[in-house]
Formats: sequence, C-alpha cells, structure tokens
Amino acid sequence: MAEKLLEIKNLNTSFRIRDDYYAAVDDVSLTVNKNEVLAIVGESGCGKSALAFSIMGLHNRTKMEGEILFKGENIVNISPSKLNKLRGKSMGMIFQDPLTALNPLMIIGDQIGEALLLHNKELSKTKRKEKVIDLLNKVGIPRAEHVYEQFPHELSGGMRQRVVIATAIANEPELLIADEPTTALDVTIQSQILDLIKDLKEDMNSGVVLITHDLGVVAEMADRVAVMYAGQLVEIADVHTLFEEPLHPYTKSLFNSVPNANEEQEKLHVIQGIVPSLQNLPRTGCRFAARIPWIDASQHEEHPELHEVKPGHFVRCSCYKHFHFPEESKEEQHHGIS
Amino acid sequence: MAANSASVENVDVKKKEIKSPSGLSVIGRELIKDKIALISLIFLILVVAFVYGISFVLDQEEIVKVDLFSIYEPPGEEFILGTDYGGRDVFGQLIIGTRNSLSIAFLVTIMTGLIGVVYGLLSGYFGGHVDNIMMRILDFFLILPFTMIVIAFVAIVPKYSIWTFSLIMTAFLWMGIARLIRSKALQEKELDYIHAAKTLGTSNLKIVFKHILPNVSSLIIVTMTLNLASNIGLESGLSFLGFGFPESTPSLGTLLSYARNPQTLEFRWWIWVPASLMILFLMLAVNNVGVALRRASDARQRRG
Repeated sequence: MAEKLLEIKNLNTSFRIRDDYYAAVDDVSLTVNKNEVLAIVGESGCGKSALAFSIMGLHNRTKMEGEILFKGENIVNISPSKLNKLRGKSMGMIFQDPLTALNPLMIIGDQIGEALLLHNKELSKTKRKEKVIDLLNKVGIPRAEHVYEQFPHELSGGMRQRVVIATAIANEPELLIADEPTTALDVTIQSQILDLIKDLKEDMNSGVVLITHDLGVVAEMADRVAVMYAGQLVEIADVHTLFEEPLHPYTKSLFNSVPNANEEQEKLHVIQGIVPSLQNLPRTGCRFAARIPWIDASQHEEHPELHEVKPGHFVRCSCYKHFHFPEESKEEQHHGIS
Repeated sequence: MAANSASVENVDVKKKEIKSPSGLSVIGRELIKDKIALISLIFLILVVAFVYGISFVLDQEEIVKVDLFSIYEPPGEEFILGTDYGGRDVFGQLIIGTRNSLSIAFLVTIMTGLIGVVYGLLSGYFGGHVDNIMMRILDFFLILPFTMIVIAFVAIVPKYSIWTFSLIMTAFLWMGIARLIRSKALQEKELDYIHAAKTLGTSNLKIVFKHILPNVSSLIIVTMTLNLASNIGLESGLSFLGFGFPESTPSLGTLLSYARNPQTLEFRWWIWVPASLMILFLMLAVNNVGVALRRASDARQRRG
C-alpha cells in the first residue's frame, strides 16, 4: 500500500459574500500518496484553485472546516508560524502565471535564495548561491550564473516558470501543488515543463497535486484523477479507468467536449449552460442536473453521495447509470421510426 | 573575413552591455529631457548647499540681536539686503530662515513619510478588521481642525523649537500618504508573487517590508517630494499668521510676516520680497523635480 502523504477529509472552504458564507470547496475528501500525481480537473470556477489555496493556507477571511492531514497532522486553522514552517519546506506551490508570480524588483537569485534562507538559517551566503545555481541548472536554465543576477522582466515566460518551479522545489518539498502550471505557456514549452515536474517528482519521491483543465496534460502526467464540479468531487479514479470508462455525466461531457482531429465535426460539443455562480449554486440534489436537462429528475439522487463503483473508482449521484447525450437519444428515436 | 568576425564580436560585446536601465539612470534621462526640472534640481542643490554651508559660519544669536542704530537701513554696503525694524540684518535672517524652513519641511516630510508608509502598508496588507480599525483612527485625525490645534499648541508649549514644531505638524499631516500607500498595498497584496512568497513560508512582516515596500517605493519617493514642497509653504503660512516661530528664530514665514505692516509693505520691499521669492522658487523647484520623478516612475509618461 502506498504511503499516504496528504489526506483531506470533508473539507469545506467558504467565502464570505456580504453576510453569508458560501462554500466554494464543498465536502471534498481525497488522498495523495507519495510519488504519485493526483490531477484535479474541472471547468473554470469549479473550485480547483480554491482547493489548492486551502491546502497551502493562502485564503484570507474564509471559513475552513474539515481536516487536511499532512503526514498525519491537521493543518487546517493552525497557527501562522507553524504553517510557515511547513510551507516552502515540506509543501511547495507552482503558480499559474509566471509573469506575476515573481517579485519584479528582486533578482532571480534572491527569490530562490529566500526559500533556502527561510528554512535553513545556517547556510552561508556562498553555499546558498551555489545551491541556487544548482537549482537553476536542475530546472534546465542555461547560463545559470548569469540568470542569477537578472530581474524577472529580463526572462521569457518559459524561463520564468522554470524559476517559479525552482523556487517551489528549493527545499525538496514532499508535496508539490501545481496550479495550472502550463496554462500561460505555449505548447512546446508546456511539454518541457511537464517533463520537468515529472522528473523532479521521481527525484524527490514527492506527491504532486496537479490542477488543470487540460485533459491532455492529465493523460500525460496523472496517476489518479479527481474530477471537480461546482465545488464537489464528482468522480475519482485512476487515469486509465477514467479515460477508458468515464462514468459521471460531467466527466463524459468533458471528454466529449475535446475536439477530435480524426473525426469530422461540424460543431464542437459543448456542455449546456454555465457553472452556476457561488451564490446561486443549488445546495441540494445533483449539481449537474441543471446542465443535463434531458435527463429525468427522478434519476438524480436527493442527496448525492460518492459511490464506490469499483475499488478506487468513485462516482457521485446515481444519474450516471441513466446518462446519455441528447444526440444519441435522437439517433435512437430515428432508428425507432425507420 | 577577419573584419567580419571582428564586427560579430563587437555585436556580442554590445549585447552584453545592454542592461535594462536602473532607476537612477531613468531619472537622469528624464531630467536631461526636462530642462526645467534639471534647472530646478540644480537650483535646489545650490540653495541647500549654500544655506546649510553658510549657516555654519553665521551665528543665529548674533543676527537676531537688536541694533537700534541701524533700523530700517536700505540695502547697501554694510547690509546686503538692509535691516528690519530691529536693525537686524535681513540677508542673514534670510539665510537662517531658509535653513530653518527647509529643516522643518525635511523633518516633517520624513516623519510623515515614515509614519504614513508603515501605517498604510500594515493597514492595507492585513486588511479586514485591522484595516477597518486603523482607517477609523485615521479618519479621526483627519477631521481634527489642524490650524486651530496648532494655534492652541503655540499658546501651550513654552519653548518652541524646530523639533516641537515639526512634531506638531507631523501629527496632522501623515494621513494623506498613509491612505495612498494603503490603497497601493491593497492592490499589491493580491498579486501572485505575494502568494508565492507565502508558500515559501515567508512571515507577514517580512512580506510587507521586503516585498511590498520595494514595489511601492517609487510612489513613496514621488509623494514625499511633492509633500516637501507643500510643507515649505505650510510652515511659511503658519509663521506668517504668527503661529510659527518667534522672531528670535527666523524663518521664511516670519520674514514674510513683516509685510503685515503697511509701511514695510509699501516702502521697505527689501525685508519681505527676498523671502517671498525664496518661498516661491523653492516650492516651484521642488514641485518641478517631483513631477519629473513622477513621470520617471511611470513608463507611459516618460519623455526620456
């Protein structure tokens, strides 16, 4: 059995809007093992980043309930000083936009050096510089000594993302959270960055939480996948099962929305409607029901739970059993008539 | 061939030399393009050097001594700018007065800057309830009637010095910069690099002073420069109204206040005109430099 690194139990993260709290992360439970990549997939606004920020304790003025066990220790609502000892040392985070994730007025060397300095006070200045240059080499930055002295605006987007990664892995964290690490990069750089993250994971034997909306990235990187919709996990499975046999209507719709180069399609598939806003989210019943209106309401559960369909494969709500796409049903009818 | 490779080398060397311009060189270029600001800066440096240099030699006690035999002497050989109703050398008073006025303006600007920046940064960064409470305290200071309290202080405080006067002014002038810095800190703290710093385990205070402060520094420099100009004017105004320094401590404002005597205003221009011109040119010069600095801090407005 793989070693559990991070275990999230019934996590609720609520934002305050005027006088009420609205859960952006609603009853999420999942685990991340050592040397494993867990991908969290979902549309924009479904709570992926809110979940990542919850794990890192980056939220201000939010209510967090439930447990986040990091190596068995609950890190929800612990004191900032305790959290600061973990952050950067045992947990690292890679941000989405490398253009804003670096302080524009600090040279690269100091930014990476800060992570080392904060968690290893004995390290001498020269040793620190050596280590920073090592890190820069590790993430594949050429002319590391030159880059050490440069400011972020002097580097390209891909280079900056490498610097962000170098900062995150400076202390070889056991848990690495990558919040859409490749969204802001072009395709060729994307694969390099993904390979880099994968290699680093192997090297450090750490767990990775990869947040993305790109199913290609998921297929390439992930060991297990958690699909998120409107703050809830709707399906968890290992990557092969999920790609071969997606069950939840939302997962199916997601796969259906990916354009296929081999088929000639006139129109791309889209999922009807939009993700409901935090305030208008239905708090009871299946949250996806509104976007698949052709499925009869009686097929949904009243209080949808995660069901373990096969070992390690969880699906929320029973509606998956009866789900079909509207085109399919039309075809069926067509057949029926002819 | 040889020439070719040489030129290639040249290009390489040039490439290495191109570095993005540092803050100082940007300001330098801006000043060269803006001749008025450059002249203003040179004027300021000269005035400051001259005034502080000479006041080492000049003795304030000596100058403010009353000499009844030389009352209201027009400018001449003995007194370059004549004397006032006490027979005191106006030129000497102008030098000492400019020094005193500048010292107060500098002190007030630096103290308000320090208080305002720290207050604004903390309030903006921590936000929420902290921000709310801190801003209400600020509002309280904002509604206090500044002039009236200064007048009351002049009556209460027995011994008036540059320090006490600066402290009183500081107590009522730090709010503007605090608000400005707070709004900037509110903006800055939502950026990803602050989150990134947090994920490294950087403590809050370190983030405030190591990450946010440098990123608002250009705003601080510009605001403080412009504040300097208005502080010179404010001190003169208070002294003119008689709520500043006593005559034993000359400042530009006290010299100006002699003009309240209609006789002096009409017939003895040498007493008040130099001080007025000094105030005018000082404020203009500081303002010009401040505006040039503001342009330098914003790439869209730069001329250089």
